[in-house]
Amino acid sequence: MNRREFGLLSATWLAAGLPTGLRADETCQSPYMPKITGHEEFVYVWTLGVEGMGDGQDKLVTVDVRPNSPTKGTVINSVSVGGRNEAHHGGFSADRRYFWAGGLDTNRIFIFDVHSDPSQPRLHKTIETFVEDSGGVVGPHTFFALPGRMLITGLSNSDDHGGRTALVEYNDDGDYLATYWMPTADDMRGAVAVDGAVADGYGYDIRALIRKNIMLTSSFTGWSNYMMDFGQMLQDPEAMQRFGNTIVQWDLHTRQPRKVFNVPGAPLEIRFPWGSNANYAFSSTALTSQLWLIYEDDAGEWQAKAVADIGNPADIPLPVDISIAADDQTLWVNSFMDGKTRLFDVSDPHNPKQVYEKVIGPQVNMVSQSWDGQRVYFTSSLLANWDKKGEDNAQYLKAYSWDGNELVEDFEIDFNALNLGRAHIMRFGSAALYA
Amino acid sequence: MRDNFLREGSEADQSVFLGLPTIEHPDDNPPSLAKLELGRKLFLDRRLSANGTMACATCHLPEQAFVNREMQTAVGVEGRSGRRNSPTLLNSAYLTTLFHDGREISLETQFIAPLLARNEMANPSIGYVIENLRSFEDYDGLFETAFGGSASIEKMGQALAVFQRSLVAGNSPFDQWYFGGNDDAVSNSVKNGFELFSGAAGCSNCHSLHQTHAMFTDNRFHNIGYGWMREQDRHKGERTVNVQVAPGVHYEVSSSVIESVGEGRQADLGRYEVTQNPKHLWQFRTPSLRNVGATAPYMHDGGLSTLADVIDFYDKGGARHALLSPWVRPLHLTAEDKDNLEAFLNSLTSENLDCLEVYARSGLIDGNRPQVAPSLGTTREP
Ligand code: HEC
Ligand code: HEC
Repeated sequence: MNRREFGLLSATWLAAGLPTGLRADETCQSPYMPKITGHEEFVYVWTLGVEGMGDGQDKLVTVDVRPNSPTKGTVINSVSVGGRNEAHHGGFSADRRYFWAGGLDTNRIFIFDVHSDPSQPRLHKTIETFVEDSGGVVGPHTFFALPGRMLITGLSNSDDHGGRTALVEYNDDGDYLATYWMPTADDMRGAVAVDGAVADGYGYDIRALIRKNIMLTSSFTGWSNYMMDFGQMLQDPEAMQRFGNTIVQWDLHTRQPRKVFNVPGAPLEIRFPWGSNANYAFSSTALTSQLWLIYEDDAGEWQAKAVADIGNPADIPLPVDISIAADDQTLWVNSFMDGKTRLFDVSDPHNPKQVYEKVIGPQVNMVSQSWDGQRVYFTSSLLANWDKKGEDNAQYLKAYSWDGNELVEDFEIDFNALNLGRAHIMRFGSAALYA
Repeated sequence: MRDNFLREGSEADQSVFLGLPTIEHPDDNPPSLAKLELGRKLFLDRRLSANGTMACATCHLPEQAFVNREMQTAVGVEGRSGRRNSPTLLNSAYLTTLFHDGREISLETQFIAPLLARNEMANPSIGYVIENLRSFEDYDGLFETAFGGSASIEKMGQALAVFQRSLVAGNSPFDQWYFGGNDDAVSNSVKNGFELFSGAAGCSNCHSLHQTHAMFTDNRFHNIGYGWMREQDRHKGERTVNVQVAPGVHYEVSSSVIESVGEGRQADLGRYEVTQNPKHLWQFRTPSLRNVGATAPYMHDGGLSTLADVIDFYDKGGARHALLSPWVRPLHLTAEDKDNLEAFLNSLTSENLDCLEVYARSGLIDGNRPQVAPSLGTTREP
């Protein structure tokens, strides 16, 4: 592995409107966003309420990670939002002053003010009308910031709770702007299918490579499956036929779908590297346990191919979150079923090699790393009805340091013991961003 | 227009009704257009569930012949598991008992169960639902117009019942042949399949026909061994399950892995749960076979994916145990017999399913029945 130097960028740098050469944040967020290049101060954890535990509600939990703080490694704030909404993913607005967090079940979107006091986020606004606004999109998933706007992937629709869905655009004030339905075999919306891909119309993640005007979306499954008991679903052949098998390439500026790639087995997270000549992205397929590369070939055409297995696919390790290092040389890959994180050397993106692995807990889902790659955080929950049952249902945030060879645990917070719930996506906060 | 819609025995009615008996509307709930539209609106309304995520139509999908083909057993509010497969509401007007175990008797009262069940729409109480309805502005005046009074539990049930009774689908190729006298309406395979069905295979002992019409159900309860078999499956030890992870890619997954992420299937004792009579263990109501080609997966828990699977199950003689119905026994069917039976079952699919989908989603056009639309069927003679 050859770690490349990367330039320091000011924490208060505002990316909005700057077209190229953007370096963004720690490390998997919208490149339009200012980033924390120093030490993150807070980790915000979007947490699912559990019936019969504490107040039973979804909440945004703030963990202090300031190195010299007396409350380091503890929960210093928690904002309950009412109800269990199937809290899942969230993302900052491009100016990083607000954190948008979605509920996959109830379709509520909670917008938290994280700039007024980064140690005490507060609920600023709730969008209750996502389904009506969008014309029937269900399951607001990824929140991808564009300057002044928020692009949101859906997972489902209100007609049949299946996987057909759309991208939905709001402005930063929370006003609805537009809906872009995903291409389907029946209605390709101008896109072409590559290598016999069957456009399924499903959605999951969204990421963009601005300088190439490329946007990619991946495909998971609809409400019926993501809300279903996981064990029940695995035994239900009808349900198992309803997973996405595609990644769609879009024109970022016009939001026009261009190509539909065949990526079988539910491709989830998408990550572009940061390097100014790096024209590719990684994704991992949850059910088929493969790492995929979506890349621009020598002729300037974008292609998709599987480049590595993650564990033994026949064991269904279920790869979930991935996190690329800021120098583009390594990729953390979590897998839910075996509770492992694996580090891949992706210095040759066409030939990723696993170089390290560690069991984080009986189950693991999300991974977030600091911009310098020295701190890596993990949380436990996948979906309320997919998490493990009984003893194995560990719910935590675990913080590690990474020295290039070993993950060394720094602290752990037990979300069950604290009656908080199921810990899901993490995002970093810092007062330095607003200084 | 209204008169036209309600007029008896119009041609459209005749064709939709071919093969069906007369619909009997309860004396205290005669159909009307206003009730129909209100019932349709209620049926599609996601706000009628505890957290606004589920309508009746979420489990009984108009696009999928009023079942949910994408799962074996229903999933309710917050993803809570149900034990049973959502049955079609097509021709529910003709059912004399409701639910797989027959615990309800009338569409006017049946709706209370899904509204309150924790693993369906999960409302805290019926009063809460009614209070909500009264506060929704888009319902202003609708109950008053349909019933001459404000929303109540009784009126809600009546409106939903009128809508569901309008989901009528006869006039299948089989009907056109058998009741309509059109010899070309079905293939020889269908005719041979029907001969088996009503003869040697003994299916019509339970999935019964009359001379002038056929619902393919006796509206009674039988133990065909399926429920008993599924209960035995539940107690099997370590085993593997074949799981499709992508088109054409399957892995064998051990049951311990599945149990680590699942609550496990609940027991289902069928009719016994209603009567507490041990003789009724694992009895289920004979389902109508109309439109069965469009309502996979099959059986009370959706455990069989295809009609071929169902036919194989019967061919083997169901699942043998002390309470098995004597009408279910090994059939020794040839491959051709099986194909014929399947062809016959598929000939029971009505032509107006697409129309009913449009009707359920969009309603009547200008107060008039879209060509396609269902009939209120007030007075047609059998
Ligand atoms: C969560 C999914 C779900 C929802 C929501 C739901 N149902 Fe059902 N429905 C089912 C299932 C499953 C059954 C069979 C239950 C049983 O047999 O115990 C059923 C049975 C029925 C039946 C009986 C049909 C027969 O063949 O016996 C009717 C009628 C019905 N539902 C109407 C409704 C109405 C009206 C609503 C809305 C008020 C509704 N359902 C909401 C899943 C659902
Ligand atoms: C003893 C009465 C009886 C006989 C004889 C019988 N059935 Fe059934 N059938 C039932 C019952 C009861 C069920 C529902 C079982 C359950 O849900 O667990 C059923 C279910 C079915 C279903 C599934 C329908 C659905 O919507 O899920 C099909 C198809 C079917 N039968 C076809 C046949 C055929 C074909 C034959 C003859 C080979 C036959 N049946 C003989 C009583 C009978």
